[in-house]
Amino acid sequence: MPKSLKEFFDASPELRIVVYAGKGGLGKTTASAATAYWFSKRGKKPLCFSTDPQASLSDIFERDIFGKGVIEVAPSLYVVEIDADKRIAEFQEEVRAKIRELYKIEKIPDEIDEYIRTAAAEPAMHESATYDAMAELLAKGEYDIYIFDMPPFGHGVRMISMAQILDAWIDKMEETRRKAAEYEEAVARLKGLSAKTEDEVLVELREIRRKLDFFRESLTNPKTCAFFMVIIPEKMAILDTERALEMFDKLGIKLSGIIVNQIYPPSLLENPNISTFLKNRIEMQQKYMKVIWEKFEEYIRALVPMFDREPKGLDMIAKVAEHMFERPWEVDVI
Amino acid sequence: MPKWFKRERKEEKREEEGGVKKEVKEAVKGVFYGMASHGMVRYMLKTRMYLEHLFMLITLGDMLGFPILPPYYSLKLLPYAIPHIKTWKRSLFRERDVTDLLY
Ligand SMILES: Nc1ncnc2c1ncn2[C@@H]1O[C@H](COP(=O)(O)OP(=O)(O)OP(=O)(O)O)[C@@H](O)[C@H]1O
Ligand SMILES: [Mg+2]
Repeated sequence: MPKSLKEFFDASPELRIVVYAGKGGLGKTTASAATAYWFSKRGKKPLCFSTDPQASLSDIFERDIFGKGVIEVAPSLYVVEIDADKRIAEFQEEVRAKIRELYKIEKIPDEIDEYIRTAAAEPAMHESATYDAMAELLAKGEYDIYIFDMPPFGHGVRMISMAQILDAWIDKMEETRRKAAEYEEAVARLKGLSAKTEDEVLVELREIRRKLDFFRESLTNPKTCAFFMVIIPEKMAILDTERALEMFDKLGIKLSGIIVNQIYPPSLLENPNISTFLKNRIEMQQKYMKVIWEKFEEYIRALVPMFDREPKGLDMIAKVAEHMFERPWEVDVI
Repeated sequence: MPKWFKRERKEEKREEEGGVKKEVKEAVKGVFYGMASHGMVRYMLKTRMYLEHLFMLITLGDMLGFPILPPYYSLKLLPYAIPHIKTWKRSLFRERDVTDLLY
């Protein structure tokens, strides 16, 4: 048997970040909630983080937490669901306030305000604001373990590459800024003037860099960060997993494991009254399960059955956690 | 080795390097001082302006259709860039291809 999820976590005492990635609707949010629940039951202080505009964490925990900051939904189980639109609107206001304060003006120049508005409307704004929110939470370090419920389609991977690229740019900016200041100082001296005080921009850049450095370091260190893929036993999953493995490889990151979710218990086949529809589905799943096992055995960390209803609410989350962590190789529903 | 230990060391080293560099720079500055020619001031101002433009380009490149930084960080730095925006845009379009500055 490969290493189970529990064995994996037990063998990773320095782990601080868990990321569930994968295609839409396969079980990332469900796995994130169950993982946070499990850690909270083990005496840890987990934070489950999401930016899903569909408020999927509110949905699964059956509590309205969207845009309300960090909420303790059960003893020692913390959840935050960022309302990205609201956060961006607040951020725009902060930028405007900063401009008014810096230049002692009441009205923001039209051209500038136009820029603030268009920049905020870009899709990339959502993404970068989200990553910044994550980086900030992480830098504060108030929780033992951070579980990031990612939006679909490999965003977890994008997050790392963006942190890497951004870091390089910030480096370059800091350098140009510093050099410019040096020249300015030299000119001032040559002219017999006194040099200027430290550049505020440099202070801001260093702050951004400090946050990003920590974020990138934490994300790319396999000791502190684990990436899991959630898949279901279908043909597409095999191709997706191969692609994901390739992507991870390119970034120099190791995939920590795969959770196979929504598996129909094969024991259902023993029922002589089983419908042809269900029977065919189970047989199809078994066929792909076999391929998945052959190809990716070393990565498989848990098998989770298909439940007879959507796992919502703490009782059901506990049940999912039980399957994921305590009986990872059995798919008969408890 | 605990993490903070490594970090501390790195910083120490950086300071050392900075120290040596600074000394050299001070010496050079001393030489400059007194023989400040008009040409030298102009050269330095030009270099400074070039660096300023480069910085503006990275920060607010999307204003010209060259998004470099993610918009969140562009907006964060925007307030500081405001006084330079007009001259920057004007000189960029006058001087040369924007990409020259970047690469
Ligand atoms: N093992 C399971 N048995 C039954 N239903 C499940 C199971 N796992 C997930 N579901 C249901 O499937 C749907 C999708 O699951 P979930 O929200 O966890 O996926 P997701 O990957 O987070 O989706 P999205 O990409 O939309 O965020 C939900 O309605 C969830 O309740
Ligand atoms: Mg989800």
